[in-house]
Amino acid sequence: MNPELQSFTYDDAIVRKFLWATFIWGLVGMLVGLLIALQLANPWFNFNIPWLSFGRLRPLHTNAVIFAFAGNAFFMGCYYSTQRLLKARMFSDTLSKLHFWGWQTIIVSAALTLPLGLTQAKEYAELEWPIDILIAVVWVIFAVNFFGTMIRRRERHLYVAIWFYIASILTVAVLHIFNNLSIPVAPFKSYSIYAGVQDAFMQWWYGHNAVAFFLTTPFLGMMYYFLPKAAERPVYSYRLSILHFWTLVFLYIWAGPHHLHYTALPEWASTLGMLFSVMLWMPSWGGMINGLLTLRGAWNKVVDDPVLKFFVVAITAYGMSTFEGPMLSVRSVNALAHYTDWVIAHVHTGALGWNGFMAFGMVYWLLPRLFQARLHSHKLAELHFWLATIGIIFYASAIYTAGLTQGLMWRAFDATGRLQFPQFIETTMKLMPMYWMRALGGSLYIVGMLIFGYNILRTWQARPKVYEEPVIQAAPLAALEPARAAVPVQGGLWARFSGAGFHRRWEALPITFSILVLVAVIVASLFEILPTFLIRSNVPTIATVKPYTPLELAGRDLYIREGCFNCHSQMIRPLRHETERYGEYSKPGEFVYDHPFLWGSRRIGPDLAREGGKYPDLWHVRHMENPRSITPNSIMPGYSQMLTAKTDFDGIQKRVDAMAMLGVPYGDAVNRAPRMARDQAHALAVGIEAQGGPGGLEDKEIVALVAYLQRLGVDARRPGAVALAVPAAGGGK
Amino acid sequence: MSLDPRQDQLLAHNYDGIQEYDNPMPRWWLNIFYASIVFSILYWLNVPGVGIGKGRIAEYEKEMAAAAAKYAPAASQAAGVSDAEVLAVKADAARLASGKATFISTCAACHTAEGGGNIGPNLADDFWIHGSRPSQICQTINGGVPDKGMPAWGQSLKHEQVLDVAAYVLTLRGTHPGHPKAAQGSMEPASIEAGEQPGQAGAGGGH
Repeated sequence: MNPELQSFTYDDAIVRKFLWATFIWGLVGMLVGLLIALQLANPWFNFNIPWLSFGRLRPLHTNAVIFAFAGNAFFMGCYYSTQRLLKARMFSDTLSKLHFWGWQTIIVSAALTLPLGLTQAKEYAELEWPIDILIAVVWVIFAVNFFGTMIRRRERHLYVAIWFYIASILTVAVLHIFNNLSIPVAPFKSYSIYAGVQDAFMQWWYGHNAVAFFLTTPFLGMMYYFLPKAAERPVYSYRLSILHFWTLVFLYIWAGPHHLHYTALPEWASTLGMLFSVMLWMPSWGGMINGLLTLRGAWNKVVDDPVLKFFVVAITAYGMSTFEGPMLSVRSVNALAHYTDWVIAHVHTGALGWNGFMAFGMVYWLLPRLFQARLHSHKLAELHFWLATIGIIFYASAIYTAGLTQGLMWRAFDATGRLQFPQFIETTMKLMPMYWMRALGGSLYIVGMLIFGYNILRTWQARPKVYEEPVIQAAPLAALEPARAAVPVQGGLWARFSGAGFHRRWEALPITFSILVLVAVIVASLFEILPTFLIRSNVPTIATVKPYTPLELAGRDLYIREGCFNCHSQMIRPLRHETERYGEYSKPGEFVYDHPFLWGSRRIGPDLAREGGKYPDLWHVRHMENPRSITPNSIMPGYSQMLTAKTDFDGIQKRVDAMAMLGVPYGDAVNRAPRMARDQAHALAVGIEAQGGPGGLEDKEIVALVAYLQRLGVDARRPGAVALAVPAAGGGK
Repeated sequence: MSLDPRQDQLLAHNYDGIQEYDNPMPRWWLNIFYASIVFSILYWLNVPGVGIGKGRIAEYEKEMAAAAAKYAPAASQAAGVSDAEVLAVKADAARLASGKATFISTCAACHTAEGGGNIGPNLADDFWIHGSRPSQICQTINGGVPDKGMPAWGQSLKHEQVLDVAAYVLTLRGTHPGHPKAAQGSMEPASIEAGEQPGQAGAGGGH
């Protein structure tokens, strides 16, 4: 034996921890998902408890599934495979533990703060600033641990799985920091430094890439490790992995603005988002092809092995969602699907199918290896597979139908040129059977999850008293042969690039490789971000648009607290059926004081961009108190507590000051915001009482909220607003 | 494919036992990828401000203009309605029933199911803000009272539905529902025939 060999062990204890966390948070996240699915089928499930209402729990569901379930699954797979692919124990066991406990602390704080209504109101970035800082710290700990391991590796070249981990770790850091820049106004309250159009752009640059670099690239990396391991087959094509890795990383980062088609975002930006999404189709499929073709010669194993079964469905679901993604990004398709359940169906194909099944497959493969005992029951694993698969089919067929139904009903005109379903509630009622079927599908998936948990538990119980820690021997990096070009290959441009050794050399230079990834991501981002912020004509100002009054600002914060944006958009698209239903389409200049923007991405209820003045104040009071007293079949939760909870008038000053710091021209209000708010609240409360409503509301939250709702979309209609010529626009004028 | 000498050549890579082939990328895959790039470049030339395209606002205006040319505007549909027309609907039991159904689903939220008023005014008393003649009621429903928060129902209801509701509202007068809202507007005898100006009634009082 070579005397140069070094002996070491792998840290599997940390992987076991992440495995447990994956299961536990997965179950929690899915149960919250089931609860909010039931709330949409019947509002009774809101239980009239503010912290259990849909608007507050929906972000908890998305955050739990993305960051707690998929996140812990990523760390589990990453810690297991990285050590083996680099032939090195993790850089520091202490950092590993800090990473684990730090991440769980973040999840627990999310689970505590989101139901309390503490939110930044940006999708998948709801967590408030102290938690954001903690996320940044824990992510840096993870990065140091990961890159430290890379430096101490005993393998000259980096395997494709590691490339994907590098891209994920670096890009998530960049996304997280720049989307969450905000000014704190209280321990758990902040305002985004961006406003309106720019804030929307940053949010969807982040939001779409959270899908890319948290749910896609980490899982592709893990696929490249766990799939060939489980199938015991070589990876199909090294060359394909190079091309699809770099094109995926470079193209994905541009795609975000496709979430904002037909909004007030400039058309060039949303079109860029669409085109890069279209170009992304094949790079995404590169991963699917490499996965499925790796199984050549192993298909007979798929029949008997639940691990491979889960992987096959996962990769198929990945292929379907990455075809659907580019399709949904196409403007005309998006016009139909945006704001509907179609998008919900799309993400669930990805989350339940791709992320869920990848996580299940990995756990089943890891269980015997980590707990050093046979999997308790092969049969139960098979049952889990079938329940989860049928669950997805129920879920998807129900919610795709719901999405299409809703999209088509919204745009339907009758023979006389009127909206065929002018009352929004008619389109909601149609979805109820689909919502129950979705809840059934979700329940099946969760039953599968419980069986999964039982199998994990029983396997764990059969573990040995002391885990064996095999000692690995390998030569240190310095003793390995230096990096050398592979045998030159003939062929096209890409073949030469990969085969002639360029890339092979980079794979031996982790720092260079990481810098190249970072450059690809940042350069691509700047191409979109700089014009969005610098071109003034993107946001033509409207003279009559003024800042919210202090009371309206307080009301807006209540709107944020209750998560109203989860069900109501504030963005009317320039489409005839939208302007007929909601009024004049939204202009970029209307949102210049919106820190953060509240355009929303879903219409479970109607759009509110022009809600101001549409109904009397008393209508809103009664509607918030009990929506079903106004609209008998409404599925909106009631907010009767807002008629008794008091407005924090003195706290308004800080909020106004923070806005003023962000450049909102508050003028006089910076000195006497509480006074102004009280005056306006008094006038409103008197009016409500005079209309025949309850008295004594002037210091209650409801008045602040009504003030805000009555302001929505009003400014751009005032005389003197720069009007864009729109013939025959509807909206009750 | 199997004739390709490069098919299934193992590279000298080995990562924790994982090996890699260096198979050529599927031709169709590359071709679609290149095609998507070409498509994107061409499409980019259609972006307003960048290329020759007119953009979404121009498309929208065209769509609106086409609709305006094809359909009668909702706002004017009640303009020519006569009192007799509404009274004729009132005499038709089936249409009255349809008017009642629309009233319950659409108007009751503010005027209550029995018409006694709550958020909106009492429709069962003798006081009217915007006129009590059948044609006036029809026009109020059609055009709404935007300043007071009553939507223009002509935008969303069909013309016959507006007539049906107007006819049904005529039947509410003098029904004395429970918990009525205090009178608003001016007292109008049931037989009033003269036209009048739209009321400027404040909350709780007429003009």
